[in-house]
Amino acid sequence: MIGALLYLRLTSLRNLVVYRISRLRQPKYLVGTAVAVCYIYFILLKRTGMQGGPASAAPGVASAMNNVVVFICVAASALALIRIAFTWISPADNPGLRFSEAEIAFLFPAPVTRKTLIHFRLLSAQIAILFTSVLIVFFFRRFGSSGGSNLTHAIGWWVILSIFDLHLNGTNLTLSRLKERGSGYVLWRTVAVAAIAAYAAAVVLSTMAFLKGLRPGAFARQGDLGSLIQGLAGSSPLQWLLLPFKVVFGPYFANGARDFGLALVPALGLLALHYYWVSNTEARFEEGSIALAEKRAATKAAALSGDFSKLGSKPKARSGPFPLSPQGPPEIAFLWKNLISMRSTLLNRRTVLLSLWVIICLSFGLKPLLAAGARSNGADVYGLLIVMFCGIASAYTLLMGPQLVRQDLRNDLPNVDILKTYPIEGWRLALGELLAPATVLSLVLWLCIIVCAFAIDSQGAIEWLTPGVRVTLVLCLGSVTPLLCLILLILPNSIMVLLPGWYQASRSRGGGIELLGQRLILGVGQLLIALLVAAPAAGAAALIILSSAWVLGAGPAIALATAVVLAILAGEAAVGLWWLGDRFGKFDLSGDIR
Amino acid sequence: MIEVEALTKRYGSFTAVRNLSFSVRPGEVLGLVGPNGAGKTSTLRCLAGIIPMSEGTVRIAGHDLASEPVAAKRALAFFPDEPRLFDYLTVRQHLAFVARIYGVERHEELAKPLLEELELVEKADVLPGELSRGMKQKLVIACGLLHSPSVIFFDEPLTGLDPLGIRRMKDSIMRRSRDGASIVLSSHLLHLLEEVCTHVLILKKGDKVAVGTLAEVASQFSNGEPNVSLEEVFIRATGGSES
Repeated sequence: MIGALLYLRLTSLRNLVVYRISRLRQPKYLVGTAVAVCYIYFILLKRTGMQGGPASAAPGVASAMNNVVVFICVAASALALIRIAFTWISPADNPGLRFSEAEIAFLFPAPVTRKTLIHFRLLSAQIAILFTSVLIVFFFRRFGSSGGSNLTHAIGWWVILSIFDLHLNGTNLTLSRLKERGSGYVLWRTVAVAAIAAYAAAVVLSTMAFLKGLRPGAFARQGDLGSLIQGLAGSSPLQWLLLPFKVVFGPYFANGARDFGLALVPALGLLALHYYWVSNTEARFEEGSIALAEKRAATKAAALSGDFSKLGSKPKARSGPFPLSPQGPPEIAFLWKNLISMRSTLLNRRTVLLSLWVIICLSFGLKPLLAAGARSNGADVYGLLIVMFCGIASAYTLLMGPQLVRQDLRNDLPNVDILKTYPIEGWRLALGELLAPATVLSLVLWLCIIVCAFAIDSQGAIEWLTPGVRVTLVLCLGSVTPLLCLILLILPNSIMVLLPGWYQASRSRGGGIELLGQRLILGVGQLLIALLVAAPAAGAAALIILSSAWVLGAGPAIALATAVVLAILAGEAAVGLWWLGDRFGKFDLSGDIR
Repeated sequence: MIEVEALTKRYGSFTAVRNLSFSVRPGEVLGLVGPNGAGKTSTLRCLAGIIPMSEGTVRIAGHDLASEPVAAKRALAFFPDEPRLFDYLTVRQHLAFVARIYGVERHEELAKPLLEELELVEKADVLPGELSRGMKQKLVIACGLLHSPSVIFFDEPLTGLDPLGIRRMKDSIMRRSRDGASIVLSSHLLHLLEEVCTHVLILKKGDKVAVGTLAEVASQFSNGEPNVSLEEVFIRATGGSES
């Protein structure tokens, strides 16, 4: 029976490859593939070890690279632990194994044992795990070698990923079994979560005790995270606490064939134990697997149809951000509608928790730097850090914001037919759709500008930065921001209207190497157009300020430049909106997407 | 009133609809029929202003759709085969949004009887995700009728409805027609057309095969036989195949 299942897997894989190759006849896939192949060859492979690579790098660089690998492995271990804990804390209503809908339709009624189905599931996962292991090895080559060859690294990653996959499956089956038994389901879950929490607390406390015992500056002088982790893992309670992780990561970090062989034996033993656990857990996974397959199929269908809003969690009804009167400009109705949508998708619990997490991490990360700044004399390190942070946040908001905040025409793609029956001129519809994301991005930028204005040069060292100039700068930058955001949002919406086939393909998950190329082309193209659009305004502003500041003074020169910049940006935004609205009116999704 | 003159729709070198002319007066219901790929949906989408026509003229309530699209669209409503709704707006918020787009004053007064008629009162604060397909269809209808359109287009209006929903949809179409609306509906369900349509337009491969009242079209293809059903007329008119 396993032979038949293997045939299904391998034949599907072969047909997928044939399909992918055959669709290269379409230019969008061919160009995408060419760009992706060039990117992988020139950026990933050629740079990372094909011609010497990190092995030939300076010792300092190699050490820093190794630190990255160690950091990634520690972070991956922590994430794996959190993922497993989450499975126990909040299990699915019907925990199951991952099968596709077709697999369920054909295999579940077939005369095969439950164990065979589990084996089929494990076998299917192995193909993905092997592929991922090879990809990770290629990716990690740029960070240098922690010892061992590419082959041992690939096997090391195969061991890590296989054990994690088996552990998750084992957890799901165990949960399913406990649920079947009914009594003690909650108790067992509570015990498991408490055990994981106690384990995590023991690791954190032991780590803190170890770090406290270090000589001052020992780590800072050495600067090698690998050595620190090695010392940490060898210290008294941690050498036992971290033993499972040491066993799992052992083959990957092994140095030389002998070490690898010695590390592989316990790792394979752990793998075998997991396999025994999964294959011998008698649990009803069918219902859970069906529910999981339906959910995945719905998600996939939503992604392919461009209905991005259905990819997240189930939406909740929210009140409007303001009362919507039936009279007035129709653009405001779109702002109102898209703000409601944003409250459900962007401003949800997950986003708030993530933001809190980032703030906590930044606070802890910045603490030693701020302390060092406080001890130093002269420079305002604190203010400089805030300005730098705001600068980086502003740059990300301008570059990545329009990609992330997409409650505009892109989000309304499934409703395009209805939108086009509305009695509104095209440019007004486009403006209305872009108002909500432009408002949100502008608010973020305004916050950055205001914080910067307070933080920059708090000691008053810059002579020309008088309070008047400071206020003028805030007002001028603040007035330019909404138009700039609007223009930056017109670009991705234009790409959607102009190249819907590319847009659809590039937003779907996975999809192969050609979609990687398409995303690269769209990303770079958008960046270039954004620079091109911003260039006239930036050039004019620079020219006016440089030529008039010595006559008018800094404040009036900035104000004059802002007036010109506003005029240029307003003109560009008007042309962009008119064009987008016109294109949207002629846009026929059914005719364009192939 | 819908007036269509020499409507042509091309996708590249492929002509989906060729030189189509007809009119639908107030109170008339025109059934658009044809085999798969005949050009029904393309015709409807051109008439509703969703896609631009390649050639020809369409006048909706006296307004040229090409030169006065806003005025023309203000008079029409389009109901697609699949109910398309905004995921994050409740039933009530959908109506408020549509009211603002069409500038419908006192929309709450108008919406109330509509919601009652369509049995949506209890679902007023619910998101589309929690509605059944039939309920979604009703919400689409409520949104479409809020601005009292004089021209209505239905694309496969009975898709996915249960028998009760089908009955209500037919009643709704006939009521709007009696109230003076010009209605065009596209459907493969010929018994529906026989029940609710006053006129029929048969398309095949983008060409008009026949247009007129049911009796006129029936007589055109009856070969002198009495009581020929629309199904028989359809088969004779289209040659019984898609090609």
